[in-house]
Amino acid sequence: MNNQNRKRMIPAVIKQTLKMHPVIIVFLALLVIFGSIYPGSFFSPINFKAILRQFVTLTLFALGPSFVVLTGRLDLSYVGIWMLGGVLVWLFKPILGMFAIIMIPVVGIATGLFIGVIQTKAKIPSFILTLSLLVTYTGLTALIAGGYPRAVGGYEFITAPLIPLIPTTFLLSIPIIVAAIFLMKCTRMCVYLNAIGSNEEGARLAGINVDKYKILAFTLSGIFTGIGAVVLFQHLGGSAQVELKLNNIVWPLVAIVLGGTPLTGGSGGPQRTLLGAITFTIFYRGLYLTPLHPTMITLLVGIVLIVSIIVSARGLKGVTVT
Amino acid sequence: MMQEKSMNRPNLSMEWLRSNTTTIGPILFVIAVVAIFQVINPSFLSYQGIITLIYAMSYFLIAACGLTFVIMTGSFDFSVPNMLKLSALICVLYIEKIGLLVIPVALLVCLGFGFINGLLLAKFKVPSFLATLGISIVVDGIAWFLSKGHLLIMQDVKFRSLSTTFIAGFPSILYWGIGIWIICTFLALATAFGRRTYAVGGNLEGAGLSDINVARHRIYIFMLSGFLSGLAGVLYMYQMGGGSANIGADMAIPLFASVVAGGTALTGGVGGPHRTILGVIIITWIQAGMSMLAIGKDIQMITFGLIAIGMSIATVDRKRIKIVK
Repeated sequence: MNNQNRKRMIPAVIKQTLKMHPVIIVFLALLVIFGSIYPGSFFSPINFKAILRQFVTLTLFALGPSFVVLTGRLDLSYVGIWMLGGVLVWLFKPILGMFAIIMIPVVGIATGLFIGVIQTKAKIPSFILTLSLLVTYTGLTALIAGGYPRAVGGYEFITAPLIPLIPTTFLLSIPIIVAAIFLMKCTRMCVYLNAIGSNEEGARLAGINVDKYKILAFTLSGIFTGIGAVVLFQHLGGSAQVELKLNNIVWPLVAIVLGGTPLTGGSGGPQRTLLGAITFTIFYRGLYLTPLHPTMITLLVGIVLIVSIIVSARGLKGVTVT
Repeated sequence: MMQEKSMNRPNLSMEWLRSNTTTIGPILFVIAVVAIFQVINPSFLSYQGIITLIYAMSYFLIAACGLTFVIMTGSFDFSVPNMLKLSALICVLYIEKIGLLVIPVALLVCLGFGFINGLLLAKFKVPSFLATLGISIVVDGIAWFLSKGHLLIMQDVKFRSLSTTFIAGFPSILYWGIGIWIICTFLALATAFGRRTYAVGGNLEGAGLSDINVARHRIYIFMLSGFLSGLAGVLYMYQMGGGSANIGADMAIPLFASVVAGGTALTGGVGGPHRTILGVIIITWIQAGMSMLAIGKDIQMITFGLIAIGMSIATVDRKRIKIVK
């Protein structure tokens, strides 16, 4: 610590980090604002726990699609994987017993692979493909479940409290998050995905098998969503949902964009999504303490989505968007 | 690419067949839909059945025409169902206070949101899908805020005649729908505006180089879409006699499916409103036919999801486009 150089280094590092992740400023500002308005309730253990719980939900939904957004595409199928997987667990419970939970990752992988192949080979815009698939899955879920939520028992151990104040689902999500960051930081794949996102034609000319890595990105998204949805399945009530809520689709997108992964692709990734998820959670929980009507909060979330996309799209002069 | 094209040139009969598939395909689809439902349910094409079908398709046609223009430019408008809902709610909420003036007010509000959509896409470089998704959440929030979640009934019977008066045996909303459809077709095929739309959808950069103000044109397109979804909302509300913040929630995919089923490719530059009427007939008649047979919403959702995916695959011209995101 006595080293003069290191002393000079620290502000530079902080400055650099803040420049790369401006969302940290937003995060700190939100903490200060809500903390000073509601010092009692905002820093209470209950709110801390609620923030962690919501952070887990957002992160597990948003981690997988982050890989896809990196390539400049979108994957909206996460809620569909969670819903269809949940109802398949209910359906297969009598046959497979406790192993029925494996249905969720299976659905995830199959969906990811399917979307990847169709998107790459048939060249359909990814958002509309995944949105159509999401609607199809919702219909399938409602059809199988008969129209109302089906409770599945036996997986309560997923949420059984281990450490006070910290939800077990948070602990369970740590390995998933670490795996995502490992993939991003330590493999060649991440470089390729970034290259595809920033200039697909260039990546193709550089000899990258673009189609393979695009399919891989969608499959990874499916795998991460599938594994995350195992945790979420119990975390969000231990029953198969049959109703599609727009909020469930939009919030993970907000987390991704807020974290600083531009939707045109080429930079960012799951590690930034974590930042976005925690910032959005603080924002939402803080608003929740205010006397605002829930519909007003929904409205504000929409505005946050738009503003964060505008901010993340800054500096994109030559890119055409449709 | 160039060589491939020149090699395909002599094979004109194949080209002719292909260009005709996108026109004849939807017509065959309509005939199949009608035949299947008529066989299962003999009252499908009775007078009462036809009135049901007309009620199901007319407002939908108006909204789909607006969306067609957006898809023709290669963009997407997710906010159509929510704008429809908002304009319907504005009508039913304020009709007692300001009378028929609510219609222009509702249309102006939707026009305004359409303008914001276009501005976000053209000036702020927000991909249209996400811009309109964000706006549709905002609009949804406003709709819930205004209606407080109540089901609102239109008390004044007089105004409902706008859509439900029978002229020559058919409800007047049919004439509204067909009228708007003819205007949109004229706009797309016979005006400079339509030419520019095709140009922007076919080749954005090329359109910019040939002295089309692309940004302004995109904003116009989204304003048109907003305006038409607002109009659809007004007529829908007069047809139904009321509304709540729940209506139109799952209309996005059927709407989109009807546009692509008509033969307007998602990648832009081809198709047009004149084709959308076939797609609207396919989608809304399947919907109404299934409802007549008491087939649930879940199977309808599966059907529309699969139609949307299948028709997108069928309509996209894979030779012309290299990168699709």
